[in-house]
Amino acid sequence: MGDRLRAVLPSVLSVFLALAVCWVFIALTRDAETATGAYLHMLRGGLGDWAAYLDGGRVTLLTRPLGEATIKAALLLFTGLSVAVAFKVGLFNIGAQGQMLVGALAAAVVGAQLALPSALHILAALLAAGVAGGLWALIAAVLKLTRGVHEVISTIMLNWVAVSLVDNWLAVGPLRAGAGTNLSTTGTAEIATSAQLPRLMGEMSRLHLGFPLALAVALAIWVWLARLRQGFETRAVGLGPEAARAAGIPVARRTLEAMGLAGALAGLAGAVLVLGTEFRYPGSLGAPYGFDGIAISLIGGNHPLGVALSALFFGVLRAGGTRMQLLGVHKSYPELIQGLALLFVAGRMVWLALLRRRVVPTAPNKQPEPSPEVPRA
Amino acid sequence: MLEILEALLASTLEYFPALLFGALGATLSERSGVVNVGVEGMMRAGAFCAAVAAITVPTPLGVLVGMLAGGAMAAVHGYLSIRWRSDQVVSGMALNLVALAGGTYLLEALYGPNGTPPIQQLTRWHLSFLSHVPLLRAFSGHSALTWIALTLPFAFHLMLYRTPLGLRLRAVGDKPHAVATLGLSVPGLRWLAVVGGGMLAGLGGAALSTAVLDRFEQHTPAGLGFMALAATVFGRWTPLGAFFASLFFAAGNALRIGLASSAPGLAEVVPQGFLLALPYLLTLVLLAFQGQRTHAPAALGTPYEQESR
Repeated sequence: MGDRLRAVLPSVLSVFLALAVCWVFIALTRDAETATGAYLHMLRGGLGDWAAYLDGGRVTLLTRPLGEATIKAALLLFTGLSVAVAFKVGLFNIGAQGQMLVGALAAAVVGAQLALPSALHILAALLAAGVAGGLWALIAAVLKLTRGVHEVISTIMLNWVAVSLVDNWLAVGPLRAGAGTNLSTTGTAEIATSAQLPRLMGEMSRLHLGFPLALAVALAIWVWLARLRQGFETRAVGLGPEAARAAGIPVARRTLEAMGLAGALAGLAGAVLVLGTEFRYPGSLGAPYGFDGIAISLIGGNHPLGVALSALFFGVLRAGGTRMQLLGVHKSYPELIQGLALLFVAGRMVWLALLRRRVVPTAPNKQPEPSPEVPRA
Repeated sequence: MLEILEALLASTLEYFPALLFGALGATLSERSGVVNVGVEGMMRAGAFCAAVAAITVPTPLGVLVGMLAGGAMAAVHGYLSIRWRSDQVVSGMALNLVALAGGTYLLEALYGPNGTPPIQQLTRWHLSFLSHVPLLRAFSGHSALTWIALTLPFAFHLMLYRTPLGLRLRAVGDKPHAVATLGLSVPGLRWLAVVGGGMLAGLGGAALSTAVLDRFEQHTPAGLGFMALAATVFGRWTPLGAFFASLFFAAGNALRIGLASSAPGLAEVVPQGFLLALPYLLTLVLLAFQGQRTHAPAALGTPYEQESR
């Protein structure tokens, strides 16, 4: 069994097992026909209704669902990359949610308060979101490096600080649309049209610039990690800070860079949400995209391209999840599938043991399996 | 003034059991060397199952069901992290996600989105001899769980530091190989700690749905499990540390609820969101001052492999 295959196969099998388990679950509570129907609905909702289109339906039958799927995928991809980059330097970033929140707020403020030509305005808003998210994450990195505060604890705390300050104060207080007047609205003022991410297919779909942007960022991070010296050093720190320090790698600097980048990526997720679909900071972000990022990253094997694939897949399921409701099946099924898939990914060793028995029965059982590339808490 | 303090104390004691059981569960598990970030998920499972069970059986039995549910979640964690030496943080986070999505689904499928139907709350103990003593009055009117929570940490302290079992549990988190040399089972001890910790976390969840509230709601436990995790670290992985840390967090929680409702004038000077953020900010600052690099069990997060070393 090749190393590549060994790395990828458990994730793929886990996703399929999760799909199968949830199918059985629906079949048990309803019946097999409903279960299959729900899955078909989910696929149609995420990938387009090809059958109806080929029967002479309008092309929007394909473009609209695909647009929704890419919107979800872009968010999942950014938060997933955020978690993955932190993993590479040996940190577990549970704080993507908080970083995304401050990023979204920064994008909303810059988008609403500045008057700039369109391209510049978008750039400024993205930049602000990245910087805000990055700085938020750096608090945790600095606490870790200087005071030894475990990042799992500090990022959880920072999540709540962000939620309390933004959702319970800024977005309903000083930054609320029409603050100081009697207007009762939730969320900040709408961003200027010049700050909106352009739609790539016009009226045919909500697909916007955020998706290609996310893909490009994933590619860039892959190049950085796999081809550049800095990325190599970052990974070396993640695999063993002591050894990296002995090899002359500036451990603290690489850690700060990676965590700052992780925060910036989560911040960009917030920016894409605000500039692409919401057009203002809503009362609250709604879904815990930051926590989804953990699942997306781990299912994608913490590899930028794997994360992209996993984000795309779950983007499709998420977009299609609402469609399942047509059959009375609860819309949280895609999340359940995602959680179960992560649970099965956590059982990676079980998969490898099973595979070893099946695929190469004669291979000598020499070394204990290397554990997945995840830091020890 | 005294009345305000009393109200704050009463409110603190209300939330304290849930936090403490969660923190004590995580402490137990992590003392044996198994990271437990799945506390939130285990609490959620405990809260949900306790409330559902209490619809048909007496509430104390429901609490027991909640404990078993937490233990069952922990068994999955144990199976992956002890039997298969999986990454413990990943396994714990996975449990959280499954509990969140699965709980949302089951709740809505069975009872609709708002929560389970109301159940009989755990009996509150009104202690008449305390009702005339100022300040101590706040200790009256809580369920048995509050009293268990006030005493259990001390029992755990004795167990951990005064009994052979406690010595073994501590040793298995620091030097598992040494424990194995004595002919003791490292996986066995870890299983005990992990499942026991899960049952405690389940009890914490059950405390929320049967003592604080009288039903399970969509957002229970709303991050309290993560807070319990913070209390574990803040309490330096000791039962008494968990006790004081949980008390501190519960007081912070009571303070912000109390301030928001009893002193509306204050809310105009200090924004409410800032008050909400205060306990978390304080935790960060305190953790930074504590500099807790050296307190974690030495083998925490490292799967035990007999062949290694």
